[in-house]
Amino acid sequence: MAYQLYRNTTLGNSLQESLDELIQTQQITPQLALQVLLQFDKAINTALANRVRNRVNFRGSLNTYRFCDNVWTFVLNDVEFREVTDLVKVDKVKIVACDGKSESTQNKSDKWSVTQTPQISVCL
Amino acid sequence: MASSANSNPVPKLYKSVIEDVINEVRELFLDEGVDEQVLLELKTLWENKLLQSKAVEGFHTEEQAALQAAAQQQQQQQQQVQVQQVQQVQHVTQQAQAQQVILPPQQQQAPQQQVIVQDPKILQHMNATGMSAAATAATLALPTGVTPYQQLITSQGQILQVVRAANGAQYIIQQPQQQILLQQQMQPGGVQAPVIQQVLAPLQGGIPQQAGVIIQPQQIVLASGNKVQGSTQVMQAMAQQQQQQPAQAAAAQVQQVQQLQQAQGAAAPQAQQQAQAQQPPMMLQVDGAGDTSSEEDEDEEEEYDEDEEEEKDKDGGEDGQVEEEPLNSGDDVSDEEDQELFDTENVVVCQYDKIHRSKNKWKFHLKDGIMNLNGKDYVFSKAIGDAEW
Repeated sequence: MAYQLYRNTTLGNSLQESLDELIQTQQITPQLALQVLLQFDKAINTALANRVRNRVNFRGSLNTYRFCDNVWTFVLNDVEFREVTDLVKVDKVKIVACDGKSESTQNKSDKWSVTQTPQISVCL
Repeated sequence: MASSANSNPVPKLYKSVIEDVINEVRELFLDEGVDEQVLLELKTLWENKLLQSKAVEGFHTEEQAALQAAAQQQQQQQQQVQVQQVQQVQHVTQQAQAQQVILPPQQQQAPQQQVIVQDPKILQHMNATGMSAAATAATLALPTGVTPYQQLITSQGQILQVVRAANGAQYIIQQPQQQILLQQQMQPGGVQAPVIQQVLAPLQGGIPQQAGVIIQPQQIVLASGNKVQGSTQVMQAMAQQQQQQPAQAAAAQVQQVQQLQQAQGAAAPQAQQQAQAQQPPMMLQVDGAGDTSSEEDEDEEEEYDEDEEEEKDKDGGEDGQVEEEPLNSGDDVSDEEDQELFDTENVVVCQYDKIHRSKNKWKFHLKDGIMNLNGKDYVFSKAIGDAEW
């Protein structure tokens, strides 16, 4: 199971909205929509891992940090994102990062995943 | 794949993801017994929302690329179109339809198979609905993939045809009965706003959010050569505008259309702008503190003021902060809720390789991320950052 992390992106949100519209007009079932989203998770994870090959650097000041359920959430201020081509400056940015080393079987759905798993997860 | 300095990998990536997802779920849809049409509709909705968000630059779907190619070819063969339309006009409806069959193969060369397959359907539909020669000519002159969808008769007695293109956008072909109105409206560019008002004001609930307007003037029926040229040029210019310059007039028109529909009853754009201008101040009013900023419409805000003043009086007056500040706001640590109500929260979703901290110096090693900064989307395979806490 791939991370559901990327559902809250432009691409993911537009897909969810489109699915919601189809559900409202009863053209698809919610179950089918869920399947589509799961497929989206797989596709976006694969695409990012395989089809993207660029590097970004950034610098700023750290406002807050949080580590919960193996998910890091940062809020940075006055950040500069630098790519080879261009530079982007923002006053505030939120970074949500899931564990990149081991893709665990847990689904990191939203930012605040407060799930208490009964079993102990082993990190390899 | 080496990427040049100016290429943006985001549109291609998104397109490939969309294609992958759609192809993978096709089986799921079939298993559930859902029609392929619904799948295409999902894809269309998805792509349109991406376009509307303007988060991706240079995002054109395959269908829109085909539309652009068709529009360019229509431009190249403009003279042939005019001549053929004049000939159509002079004939009876049935004969005109026979000639129209000849039209498509000459007009559209690149998406040839699609056009030929769809045109018989279009013609059959036209026969069934009894559209006039002008309407059929207009529909055939439309970009590929457009099929008449609905016919609506407005309160003004004008026959509107809601046409649905393959990319999901719906176009309205207007057949007004008064030629004089159209002569005034024949100027491209700044004209389409009043036309949209007239067309859509009586049709508020009936049209989904994406609609463009194509003016089909009745001058074609009058069989005058000059007017035919003008009308076809305008139509093609408008079609080109809507296709090739989405960021400009057409987008503004579509936005106006959307604003019209969302306002639900406001006919004039001024009223809509006022309605929209009224909304932000009301949204920002979180605490209900008395603000002296705008005094235009203060019904609800005045109620807040009254409540606040009552509370202040009960407390026997505060620190001397007479004006806007909520009570003891200086002691509040985080006041960022107001900021989050704004448009873009810049978000990065990614995975972390390593997060390192030394005293208050943090180092981030991230990978496989999608960023939305200042409304635009970016992606990265690796990101390294420094921050001080």
